[in-house]
Amino acid sequence: MNKDLFRLTPSGLAGLVFAAFCFVVLPSVAGSYWLAILTSSACFTMAISGVAFMHARLGMVSLTQVGLMGVGGWVTLRLNYLWDFPFEVNLVIAALLTMICGWVLALPALRLRGLYLALVTLMAAGGLEILFATYQFPNGGEGFWGVKIGSTEPFRGSILATSPTAYLRYVIVAATLGFLLIEAHRRMFPGRAWALIRRSEAAAMAAGVNVTLYKTWAFGIAALLAGASGGLLAGSLGLLDDGTFRASESIMLFALAVVGGARFWLGAVIAAFLYRVLPAILNTWGVDSDLAYVIFGVGLLHALITAPDGIGGQIMALFRRKSQEQS
Amino acid sequence: MTIRHALAGLIGLFAIGFGGAALAAPSCGANTGQAATGEPIVVGGIFSNGAPGDWSSATDSAAAYFACVNANGGIAGRPIEYLVEDDQWNPESAAAAAAKLVGDKKAVAMVGNGSFIEMAVNAKTYVDNGIMAMASACAISECFETPNLVSTNQGPLSSNLGAAQYAQEELGSKNVACIGLNIPNNGIWSCQAVIDYMKSKGGDGSMALLNPGAPDVNSALLEAVASGADTILMNLPAGLALAVLKAAQEQDLRDSYIWIAPTPLYDLSVPDAVGEYWHGKIFVNAELAPLSVGGPDAQNWISVLDAFGKADDPRDTFSQAGYLSARFFTEAMLTMDPAKLDDRAAVSDAIRAIKGYTSDLMCGPFYVGDADYHMPNHAGYMVKIVAGGFEIVRNCYEYDSSYFDKHKALEAELGLR
Repeated sequence: MNKDLFRLTPSGLAGLVFAAFCFVVLPSVAGSYWLAILTSSACFTMAISGVAFMHARLGMVSLTQVGLMGVGGWVTLRLNYLWDFPFEVNLVIAALLTMICGWVLALPALRLRGLYLALVTLMAAGGLEILFATYQFPNGGEGFWGVKIGSTEPFRGSILATSPTAYLRYVIVAATLGFLLIEAHRRMFPGRAWALIRRSEAAAMAAGVNVTLYKTWAFGIAALLAGASGGLLAGSLGLLDDGTFRASESIMLFALAVVGGARFWLGAVIAAFLYRVLPAILNTWGVDSDLAYVIFGVGLLHALITAPDGIGGQIMALFRRKSQEQS
Repeated sequence: MTIRHALAGLIGLFAIGFGGAALAAPSCGANTGQAATGEPIVVGGIFSNGAPGDWSSATDSAAAYFACVNANGGIAGRPIEYLVEDDQWNPESAAAAAAKLVGDKKAVAMVGNGSFIEMAVNAKTYVDNGIMAMASACAISECFETPNLVSTNQGPLSSNLGAAQYAQEELGSKNVACIGLNIPNNGIWSCQAVIDYMKSKGGDGSMALLNPGAPDVNSALLEAVASGADTILMNLPAGLALAVLKAAQEQDLRDSYIWIAPTPLYDLSVPDAVGEYWHGKIFVNAELAPLSVGGPDAQNWISVLDAFGKADDPRDTFSQAGYLSARFFTEAMLTMDPAKLDDRAAVSDAIRAIKGYTSDLMCGPFYVGDADYHMPNHAGYMVKIVAGGFEIVRNCYEYDSSYFDKHKALEAELGLR
């Protein structure tokens, strides 16, 4: 047993306390509107954690994360109308199938690096966008695509979370498990392999690390998280629309992961806050929510120029400094 | 739609030209002339504004009507607080908008909704919360096939059928190619109804679908041409339909086909936008009375917009539908026990009890009833685009399709036929 696996770091403790706070407090105080916004944010937190983890641990830029969310959502909807399995079973199958999609996408793409990898994943996101726009999301029809003419059939949601309050808690738990999955990998052999690959692929190969395997593995984990978050989004709304999963949204998600801070759990939370909560706040204030895009741009400039670890990194550094001063 | 908004002022001036009645004081609700006071009654509305279209026309006119009601005694002396949210053509935003209005603001009803998205996302929310939505710019099947939604507009299925029926009966159409959006509960649903109708009449039909996110109108037009059709039906928002016509003009296809469209092309900015090339060649179904009919209620609609709307509020079919939804809702509320005006269940019951409300804007009576489906408006006009406006080519006529059999049975049950 790896002793480090369950070691509680200050950052990890803060993350668990934050998750517990979100689980207990947010659903209790949020009204219906904010329950909907926060549920969506929690779903995207999970997807962002995947793309941020790949960037932080391996330096890989994936611009297809929202497309993979669409794959997870598509599978969840298709299974919902195909069989009578519980939502949770469909969700797990959707996440696993999306992981396989991620692997299929990764194997040829991982021969590339940097900008070229980013471009290939962006092309994949574009391809998925076209597929979703052409074939649409299942709505209770027959056949492989499961699309029927007319109204959407009722969606069978989770029996564990039948109210919006319970569903927000459900998604918070799922997102927390996603973070724990990433952290567990980071603390085990894959994490060490990824660290070596990030430093130098040649050195990693010389040390006997199967670079392709571990890069594909990482891509698979990011895809798994994307698939699960897409399934959770489908569970929240009962249907999906291709407009949600455009390639441009994948670029936005990655940019916000950088703004938030890809190395930290807090970064993914900040990114999801910017992506879904900030436009809702602007909307509530009566300000055009498109103003959020201007704020995203400023945030990205800020991150690129002065804060390579993003806003999350700055906040974490601040806490570390305070802690050191006190000790 | 930008064109629609840009020309709205011009349309308003045109509408004023109908006569002195358009300048008369509007008549709304209790019509007391006294401003309503007291605790507001909360009513919600959701519209879509985002590519490929702006569907705020109905909520704009409903807002104007409610402002007029508030200036004229309100409901039992209480004003209506009309809260409107934009779903941005996004399912998450649509769900959040309904959560805010239904869950947080405790709206007693939804009025004037216009969207391609929100009815599909929120139909279950409305049922679960026992709230009725009196929509006005419905474009998807859920609007007409769920228990708690009813609309004053017809939607693409009915309007398409009206246009196809006219083309088949009067223009000799045998084969209709329907260009629509690739959305199962919108373009595919409504185009398929036209194909079924044409086949039932011994003809044929096909559909050419556009990706709403990145519409390639030229490809869709070529697909329609390749289908062997003699008639092209533009089942699209006005902006996209104009793009199809532009592409067809570039290929000089005007005289090779019969050109028909549902109600989105009934917009006073369209005759100028299409240009002289198309005048006299495009036949459009109007779900509600064309402006030139100018009945008392039509004139009141214009008066309400002039007095209580914004200068750039469109004067189009969806604006008429928003006015009608707000008017019918107000009339239903005025029949209620004032003590129950905040009781959502009682308000929903009052809406379901609506029966036989009339307006010269509609060809038939408006009703709701207690059913899992609602399509009270399934008769309309046909107009032809001519220089400077539209010419009525067929007055009120009921659409001939088996789709309406159950609606007709419900109307017979309610004593409306």
